[in-house]
Amino acid sequence: MDSLMVEYRHPNGRHDDAVLPDSAWVDRLSAGGRERAVAVGHLHELMVRAARHQVGRMPEAVGLGVARRDEIVHSAADAATVSVLSRLSTFEGRSRFTTWAYKFAILHAGVEVRRAAWRDREVPLREVPEQRDAAMSSPEAYAEVRELARAVRDGIGEALTPHQRRVAIALLVDEVPIDVLAERLGTSRGALYKTLHDARQRLRAFLSERGFMSATVQKEVNS
Amino acid sequence: MTGTASLSREAIARLTANTEPWLSCDGCFDQVDAAIESLLDSNVSLAEEFRGHLLGCAACHEEAQSLAALLAEQFDLSAAEAVARLDAAVAE
Repeated sequence: MDSLMVEYRHPNGRHDDAVLPDSAWVDRLSAGGRERAVAVGHLHELMVRAARHQVGRMPEAVGLGVARRDEIVHSAADAATVSVLSRLSTFEGRSRFTTWAYKFAILHAGVEVRRAAWRDREVPLREVPEQRDAAMSSPEAYAEVRELARAVRDGIGEALTPHQRRVAIALLVDEVPIDVLAERLGTSRGALYKTLHDARQRLRAFLSERGFMSATVQKEVNS
Repeated sequence: MTGTASLSREAIARLTANTEPWLSCDGCFDQVDAAIESLLDSNVSLAEEFRGHLLGCAACHEEAQSLAALLAEQFDLSAAEAVARLDAAVAE
């Protein structure tokens, strides 16, 4: 390992604990024998660090317990190491190598925590959103949001397909994590996001035709 | 005043978010490392499709925040400052 610990300074003067220049990472991970094994070990350490960072940021991980969290950290680090090695030829140097690698560990750890936290929970798949209580600052604000909420409900019912309705309500109203819904429905995050994107476009068009998508209305909703 | 609305204000905002121009989750993953480095290095605006995706995808947004926090120290920022910079860029 010591042979890999060449001090590296970023051209902009920044420094961190990533001690190898990008080209050295790629060269050594692509090499054979002991040189590669050492580099893979170093990469795995970075993946553990990033996975631990991700797990530590997620409130839903707290309830999983120390042992399960640690298990997820190492499982995600293992999976991320494999992902990085299998995609090494796609690294284009648009970011630091370590930044590029970190995102794989963060992704794997995030997905594992979300799924573990929902393991024993039922995922509601509704075509109509439940009634919710909402605190409003004034009668006027309440009236505006109530009117918009009614239009959104109408839009969900009239403009979306049954699949778009179930996905949009689960992800955006009931706040089921997208990776959990993808696992339960046997699909992918990307496929669900596409469904969501199309549903939003239809809903926005529906609302726009009825005069609800003005900048003023959007500002009121987002404030 | 407290009233009852059928959908919360937050849910309405999520349902009606403008996520154009289109970018897939895979596309977002491809861009996130370089985009976060650029943002933390020089506070440049995010590409519009990347910004729109983070606005519309809670999981990708959470992971981008995590990457920003992890890289913060390299850019002489605190984790909170790095995440705040990202969130401000997404909300622009």
